[in-house]
Amino acid sequence: MQRRIWTRIAIAAVAAILPVLAVVLAPDPPAAEAQRKKVLNIAAKEPDTLDPHMSILGQTQSIKRFMYRGLTRFAIKDGKVTTAEVEPDLAESWTTSAEGTIWTFKLKKGIQFHKGFGEMTAEDVKFSFDRQIQRTPGTRFAEVLETIKSVEVLDPYTVQFQLKAFDPIFLLRVVGYQAGYIVSKKAVEKHGEQYKWNPIGTGPFQFERHSPRDKIVMKAFDKYQGGRPQIDEINWFDVPEDATKLIGLEKGTFDLLYPEAVTADFADQVKKMGAVIDRRGPGGQERFYINMTKPPFDDIRVRKAFMHAIDRKAIKETMYPGGLARLASSCLPPGYFGHVPMTFPEHDPELAKKLLAEAGHPNGLTIKPYFISKSFFYPKVLTLAQEQLKKVGINVELQVVEHATYHENIRKNLNPFVLYGGTRITDADPWLSLFFDGSEIPNPATGNKGTNFAHYKGIDDLLAKGRVERDVKKRAAIYAEAQKRIERDLICLPISDVPSQWARNPKRVSTPFDPEYGEFALHYSYNYPELLKIVN
Amino acid sequence: MFQYALRRLVVAIPMLLGAMSIVFFAMRILPGDPCVAMMGDQATTEALADCTRNLGLQRPLAVQYADYLWRSVQFDFGKSFRHGYPVNEYIIRMFPHTLILVLASAIVAALVGIPTGILSALKRRSPLIDYPIRIIALLGLSMPVFWLGILLLIVFSLRLDLFPLIGGGDLDAVIAMLGSGEAFRYPGDFLAAVGDVLHHLALPAFALGFTLAATVSRLSRSAMLEVVSQDYIRTARAKGQIERAVIYKHALRNMMVPLLTIIGLFVAIALTGTVLTETVFTRPGLGKMLVDAIGSRDYPLAQGAITVFTMTIIAVNLVVDLLYAVVDPRITYR
Repeated sequence: MQRRIWTRIAIAAVAAILPVLAVVLAPDPPAAEAQRKKVLNIAAKEPDTLDPHMSILGQTQSIKRFMYRGLTRFAIKDGKVTTAEVEPDLAESWTTSAEGTIWTFKLKKGIQFHKGFGEMTAEDVKFSFDRQIQRTPGTRFAEVLETIKSVEVLDPYTVQFQLKAFDPIFLLRVVGYQAGYIVSKKAVEKHGEQYKWNPIGTGPFQFERHSPRDKIVMKAFDKYQGGRPQIDEINWFDVPEDATKLIGLEKGTFDLLYPEAVTADFADQVKKMGAVIDRRGPGGQERFYINMTKPPFDDIRVRKAFMHAIDRKAIKETMYPGGLARLASSCLPPGYFGHVPMTFPEHDPELAKKLLAEAGHPNGLTIKPYFISKSFFYPKVLTLAQEQLKKVGINVELQVVEHATYHENIRKNLNPFVLYGGTRITDADPWLSLFFDGSEIPNPATGNKGTNFAHYKGIDDLLAKGRVERDVKKRAAIYAEAQKRIERDLICLPISDVPSQWARNPKRVSTPFDPEYGEFALHYSYNYPELLKIVN
Repeated sequence: MFQYALRRLVVAIPMLLGAMSIVFFAMRILPGDPCVAMMGDQATTEALADCTRNLGLQRPLAVQYADYLWRSVQFDFGKSFRHGYPVNEYIIRMFPHTLILVLASAIVAALVGIPTGILSALKRRSPLIDYPIRIIALLGLSMPVFWLGILLLIVFSLRLDLFPLIGGGDLDAVIAMLGSGEAFRYPGDFLAAVGDVLHHLALPAFALGFTLAATVSRLSRSAMLEVVSQDYIRTARAKGQIERAVIYKHALRNMMVPLLTIIGLFVAIALTGTVLTETVFTRPGLGKMLVDAIGSRDYPLAQGAITVFTMTIIAVNLVVDLLYAVVDPRITYR
């Protein structure tokens, strides 16, 4: 009897395993399909929306570029994608009034939206900007477009922007990036709230479908203005773990990886498997802001001591050895209009101790609790800095918190110095305005959640001057002066300029740009995905 | 028994409401603003204020709470802050993936853990059987699921190319075919779809199941040791019954009651284990989704997912309670 039961169990087990074996032994259908069609498989994270005006997440900005385009685009010069220069994209040409407050764009004729949503006209351009200026719920970039007074349709192929005042970086505001993407008015009105998962743009790839927590499928857009891309289909997989991404790159499951972080180990593994890392500058900058209003850092000697205590090179080399990042040379990163190299106090612990003693802290000082995010580069950089600060007598007692809590706490001014990162439109004005303008000082009492963590007001006059200056050279001089003042007041210590980095299997995919800083990085991905090619 | 089950279900309602309320307030007590989490470091004051208004978070907490409970009663958990999808839709798509992972890992845990535990107990202190089993169990207990997962992926997916690296298979198709009756009209297609799902499930289920099996094995071992030292076992042996009959007829059945309790508890443990397993194996599912939702302060999504987790645990415990009576006729429910 017992034996019979065991026999039945064995048969049932074999029956259960059979379908598994059948699938295991069968050829892999996606791989076979990928060979016929030119399919590009990308391992990244899932975007939170496909509406280009509604998110600033890295993965969302990356995927947007595959589907949308703007009036202008970053120019390609000498085989490189530039940073602050633009050229026409959806616009054919533009003119500006004598006082620089009226910009008239002539649109290219015959540009089609995806999925039969018709030709792009001035109405779509007006709609794309108006929905943001009017702060349609969910849109994120009204501040970037604050300079615009009105957008008028002159005829189906002519659109005019009236500005509140002259804006030296207006062309950068309408570039195909964040606020500048053009959406189909008809599609947004048709899909309403669901537009975020039914995107219609004019980019080289059109959205096909979204399987939540799995993948987004895009297909080549036959009527793309620049010609149909060579790649037929793109699978954008949601892969949260970098270890899984690496295994997938080696196995051939993925062709491109958008990693969470590129460490030395990650780069080594990529190299070992014969893949390459495409680095796009300037990327994000990791830096410290020192709150000059919060004791003891309201004393410039303490701020100087802090800077002498930090060994920037050591942190950069530990975090990003060799070419994984560049030692930051200014609080306004290279690649941004107006950048000039700055000098910072050299690493000198003895001098730091002396300065602390002079400032009335002969026995050092303790900062507690110091909140730090548990995510991204934050805990690692801070732990290194903590060790260095300890050597001069500045004891930092860390309290590791969730990233969201970190953002909340630094806006409550709970940390006397703040570690921060980020990328912005590549001009001194938006960058310096966000981080050093007096109106951006975070204040829980007023609800101001700005990002001027240094509580600095020292360049407000220069920023105001720069916004109305039309002479390019004079503008550059204004921002050079601003960087000098920041250097003088010792409120910002940049550590590393970390490029945007993707791993690529060169035996499968090619890009026309040099992997080493051949492209600019605003989108956290390839500026021109239509130029990617499947090579076998 | 029916009355008992009904009574338990009625008692489950305040439990569920309690859990939902705790989640609601815990999410709000937790430092971190959903808008700051969503908009990141590029958020300006105005944008954050806009976002807060759009999500309805400027309303008094009591109003938000009442709104949340009223909607939940109607099985409407709202829309995900981050993705905009209705939470219900999300859960309906994700939960089956998590459920089959939990069930499959429970099966692996039971198939591996119970026999080894029993064997280990019966061959106590045997250097060839008991000691190796206990060492392997210890290994399983101390091996993190993400580490084992990556190891399995490297060996069975990358090197041997036997299993897929990512995904959960087309479970939606399997469910749709079952719902529409196509499963019976096209059994070949259906079997292929099931095979694909199992193919994707095998490694994650083994990874999660193996770590759970270690605990099952150790608990089965102690349960069996306790049972075999009982008087009725000694009596059975004294009566001259053969050892196999003593074990299968008397010992095994009596150790089922504590074992069922353990398996019930395991569903809760396995549900939490799905978080890492789903992440490493890049499987769609509720576990990973819940952690992401908490991290990004996506209140509706976190609330919905925890409600479903709570309901699952309540349901499993009820089933376990009812099964006690099946395995032990001395237990009756009134």
